[in-house]
Amino acid sequence: VLQDGSAKSENAPEGEKMRECKQGAEQQQKEDEREGLIEFYGSYQELFQFFCSNTTIHGAIRLVCSKKNKMKTAFWSVLFFLTFSLMYWQFGILYREYFSYPVNLNLNLNSDRLAFPAVTLCTLNPYRYSAIRKKLDELDQITHQTLLDLYDYNMSLARSDWSTLSTRKRSSRSLLHHVQRHPLRRQKRDNLVSLPENSPSVDKNDWKIGFVLCSENNDDCFHQAYSSGVDAVREWYSFHYINILAQIPDAKALDESDFENFIYSCRFNEATCDKANYTHFHHPLYGNCYTFNDNSSSLWTSSLPGINNGLSLVVRTEQHDFIPLLSTVTGARVMVHDQNEPAFMDDGGFNVRPGIETSISMRKEMTVRLGGSYSNCTEDGSDVPVQNLYSSRYTEQVCIRSCFQLNMVERCGCAYYFYPLPAGATYCNYMKHIAWGYCYYKLLVEFKADVLGCFHKCRKPCKMTEYQLSAGYSRWPSAVSEDWVFYMLSQQNKYNITSKRNGVAKVNIFFEEWNYKTNGESPAFTVVTLLSQLGNQWSLWFGSSVLSVMELAELILDFIAITFILAFRWLRSHRTHSPPGPHPSSQDNTAFQDEASGLSTPHRFTVEAVVTTLPSYNSLEPCGPSRDSEKGHE
Amino acid sequence: TAMAPRKKITAKIKKTLPVTGPQAPTLSELMRWYCLNTNTHGCRRIVVSRGRLRRFIWILLTLSAVGLILWQCAELLMNYYSASVSVTVQFQKLPFPAVTICNINPYKYSAMKDYLSELDKETKNALETFYGFSEGKSKVRRSVGDMNSTGSEFFQQIPLLKFEDFSRTVTDLHSGQKRKIEGKVFHKDSSIVNSGDSNDIIGFQLCDANNSSECALYTFSSGVNAIQEWYKLHYMNIMAQIPLETKEKLSYSADDLILTCFFDGLSCDKRHFTRFHHPLHGNCYTFNSGANGTVLSTSTGGSEYGLHVVLYIDEADYNPFLVTSTGAKIIVHDQNEYPFIEDIGTEIETAAATSIGMHFTRSRKLSKPYSDCTETGADIPVENLYNKSYSLQICLHSCFQRAMVDSCGCAQYAQPLPAGAEYCNYKKNPNWMYCYYRLHEKFVKEQLGCQQICKDACSFKEWALTTSIAQWPSTVSEDWMLRVLSWDKGQKMNKKLNKTDLANLMVFYKDLNERFISENPANTLVILLSNFGGQLGLWMSCSVVCVIEIVEVFFIDSLSIVMRRRWQKAKKWWDDRKRKQGRKASQESELERQGHENPVCLDEDLPTFNTALRLPLPQESPLPRTPPPNYSTLRLENSSAFTEQLPDTLDVGQH
Repeated sequence: VLQDGSAKSENAPEGEKMRECKQGAEQQQKEDEREGLIEFYGSYQELFQFFCSNTTIHGAIRLVCSKKNKMKTAFWSVLFFLTFSLMYWQFGILYREYFSYPVNLNLNLNSDRLAFPAVTLCTLNPYRYSAIRKKLDELDQITHQTLLDLYDYNMSLARSDWSTLSTRKRSSRSLLHHVQRHPLRRQKRDNLVSLPENSPSVDKNDWKIGFVLCSENNDDCFHQAYSSGVDAVREWYSFHYINILAQIPDAKALDESDFENFIYSCRFNEATCDKANYTHFHHPLYGNCYTFNDNSSSLWTSSLPGINNGLSLVVRTEQHDFIPLLSTVTGARVMVHDQNEPAFMDDGGFNVRPGIETSISMRKEMTVRLGGSYSNCTEDGSDVPVQNLYSSRYTEQVCIRSCFQLNMVERCGCAYYFYPLPAGATYCNYMKHIAWGYCYYKLLVEFKADVLGCFHKCRKPCKMTEYQLSAGYSRWPSAVSEDWVFYMLSQQNKYNITSKRNGVAKVNIFFEEWNYKTNGESPAFTVVTLLSQLGNQWSLWFGSSVLSVMELAELILDFIAITFILAFRWLRSHRTHSPPGPHPSSQDNTAFQDEASGLSTPHRFTVEAVVTTLPSYNSLEPCGPSRDSEKGHE
Repeated sequence: TAMAPRKKITAKIKKTLPVTGPQAPTLSELMRWYCLNTNTHGCRRIVVSRGRLRRFIWILLTLSAVGLILWQCAELLMNYYSASVSVTVQFQKLPFPAVTICNINPYKYSAMKDYLSELDKETKNALETFYGFSEGKSKVRRSVGDMNSTGSEFFQQIPLLKFEDFSRTVTDLHSGQKRKIEGKVFHKDSSIVNSGDSNDIIGFQLCDANNSSECALYTFSSGVNAIQEWYKLHYMNIMAQIPLETKEKLSYSADDLILTCFFDGLSCDKRHFTRFHHPLHGNCYTFNSGANGTVLSTSTGGSEYGLHVVLYIDEADYNPFLVTSTGAKIIVHDQNEYPFIEDIGTEIETAAATSIGMHFTRSRKLSKPYSDCTETGADIPVENLYNKSYSLQICLHSCFQRAMVDSCGCAQYAQPLPAGAEYCNYKKNPNWMYCYYRLHEKFVKEQLGCQQICKDACSFKEWALTTSIAQWPSTVSEDWMLRVLSWDKGQKMNKKLNKTDLANLMVFYKDLNERFISENPANTLVILLSNFGGQLGLWMSCSVVCVIEIVEVFFIDSLSIVMRRRWQKAKKWWDDRKRKQGRKASQESELERQGHENPVCLDEDLPTFNTALRLPLPQESPLPRTPPPNYSTLRLENSSAFTEQLPDTLDVGQH
């Protein structure tokens, strides 16, 4: 209602009003109608006069408008520039603070009902799958020979392998050939000047053990050396093991679930878990892995924290039919992770000892970072220049592994067996890719030194869930109860007691408390506070506002417009009259106004002009005294 | 008389303190006046600028500035209740927490024989019937014979059942009879292990004693679980009937449990431990419980300076069916916190040295309105049954116990007794078990409302534990150590200790850093106000005074203008009606009067500077006759300036 536009509309219902009063409004309305779209001032002087009398910028009035007193002008200009610089100094500080994007740390303790995380359990027992059994036996045979040669150790092999060895040796000569391409060697350090080493940190004793890897045309070789023979043999063995696995074209051939022989009992939240609650996958080194509670449609929730309301499993840890050179530990490996996050068993696992009840208590902790300019994190990984090869949600580990795999495919032409296949690639094996080992170990060194830039490219996700685990151990089963417990297990699960306590283990996984911590971030300096601070500074030093700046902008625009109009007018008058045309000044108003009416710009009446030209004693008489009285009261 | 002085006073007041109305007669005039005189930027330009577009732009700018101010201030208000977190790390002498130690086995099995013999017999019988397991053939045979003769009615009530082929046909352990059962089957999908073999599905049935058709069936995938659960059920019934003093005697004494004790490099003994009876874990001993008024503290971190005890875990005296694991349970807690051993206790292995390093963290949250937590728990409508300070866990347990007493008539064994209630046992409450399982199911599904009532505590202490284990005693030291310990203990018993009966425990501060996480209000009132001031100043150079001005002009003055106009209309309508009624009066005189008195102009009170300047010219007036200003109008104007502007009062004054 504060615009004069509404004043017009308000005139309509005032029909019954006194004529004289209405006349005033009508006249004003007419005046408005006479008013053009934009009116310009006749001269610079007029413009500045208007500006000086109406501006709201405090210092500026004194500076521009008090030109009578030079002393005062100088004083005010000094003051003006002083405050101006002070303000911009403060502005600079504010902007610097804002663009450093400070964050507040928020700590929330939520106590909602917690969804139980996914729990992955691995047998730690790489399985001898029937599809690769023959080749593994042959590899064992070669290893046996190697160990006998190097360490004079006669490794015992399963009898069945010996009997058919001679026939198999002929049938699959290729494996032996390939294994012999990368033999395990032990050499005296002095003799090895020709071959560069890939692991410069190994400098322990005179002997070194490892295997030689060469490029495709044998012109570049290096010695993959290890300080300990145990490491060397394991690494060498698993290198060949991967090759054997990679030769199996169909991964389904390895999918041999043996759930019943691994998990003997499963309870969750005082209820028996059902069969639908687990998924199975095979890990080349950790054996068969089972993930509980992976199904996001029906998640487990504990009703209370505490050991009784968590997951309780009895697992078999006895190892038979295992590959002694791949896994040297016995037990089971547990990992707690979020649903739709892959289980990287070597990153965050927990080994369970046989004959022991391991109670793992969890605390959930969530970290939520602010993305964007606040920190270098990614919301869903879509802005990370690495394709996600896993079918799961983005995590830093997923990204790093995908990055390595993509580099591997690009550099070596084939994919590393432990990581998922990119589209169109095949797994490395030396039947097809003779020098992949050379390529892989070279790449690994580069990867670890971050020459590939994987650690640089992969950013942390903005939202992370962590489970902090701590464990307690007790002996299980107890001496007095072990008789009946083992008996029942043997009856029910066909468990034949061979090593008593070392054959089984119990795992309890539970939430220690319901509260979970959320470490969040919130911007400490938002746009709102920045504007408030700017406003504070501005008000303090200048007492002006954004609208004052608009006034200034208007002044400048008007100034330019008037300059143009005057220049245009001067040019025209110059052309029609003699060259030294009349100088545009305030005295020139009439001439300008003639031109202006030609440009359909209606001429301007100042308020004062109206008052002075139209005096009427009728109107003055009643209002004059009242105005005086008003002034007097104020 | 009395009226005269009063009139005088009012006249005097009117003269000295003149009450004037709005600054302008009409709304548009008021706005114009406001815009010309206000200190707020933008508004003056609307009036002063020439040119419709220019004016429109200034209107737009001013309105958007107002909008921005409102939006930003709303944002500031909304973010007012945000808290920031500060983490302080202090190095100081830390109070040592209370450490509660329990044997996993609650009561000495040998001492419990009298109470449990019947139950054990039945259990062994069940093992033999279902699994063909027997420790000594003759003994079991005899016990079967015994049981048939004594025949416990309680075991008949809830027998173990064997299910055949997923049908409802079961074999009763007790009678060996096959029968069909009815009832809702819980945990139906029990086929996780050896799903093809129907032999192993075993469970028990709980029925409503009043209504035998209401039954719940519990089945277990593993026989080990079934036997243990069933045993526990009956065990709790038996234990509920034994008074507390007897139970304390049946359990381990401090001397039984603790062989050696060291704290902060000094020897300690059982006087430093306070007994605490836990319903499921028997006698537990709390080190540094603060019961005698002093709380020990450590001045040095590291394993040498913490609590160092050797525990005697008498594995041979364990209950074979109740507990299947061997060791001790410990919990680190604050002195006035209740130790929930059964839920979050850490287990200690025998024949091993367990080192537990602690990290101390103290957290403090801001309560309402920042977050929904409770300081003392006094504002939560759940009675604290535990004699300790409030925690969420205590609240949930108390809430469940209260619901249990209300709906089942007795209290659950594992939680403390509310006043006036007693523990459930099926001598007195034959129905309690069914009731309990039903209630627990409801609790899990959050139908009891406990989870909604109970809130977090605002401040809490936390000891993060890191456990590491080493083989203990070492092979070379085993001999002499066991001999010395046996000799120490030998005064009471003549038995050589075995290393699997011992557990070595060390609890210590890893370092003496105390991490203190506290929430502080991110905004104070001062900051909020200064931010408001910043926003107002930035966009319009406005202040509190200008806000008051706006209120004055836009609400009070505008309202009074509108009200007055209404009043005039009403009055005019009333006058017209009156006039119609009294039409006898001559029209001329009325007209004359109207022209002279100018009733509408009369309300044109107190013309302001602008209105005065802009008063209309009479030239184009459609009125045929404008009388020259006469004395009466002048007088009227003057008087109206000092009196109330309402025309009725004017009329009164006129007459």
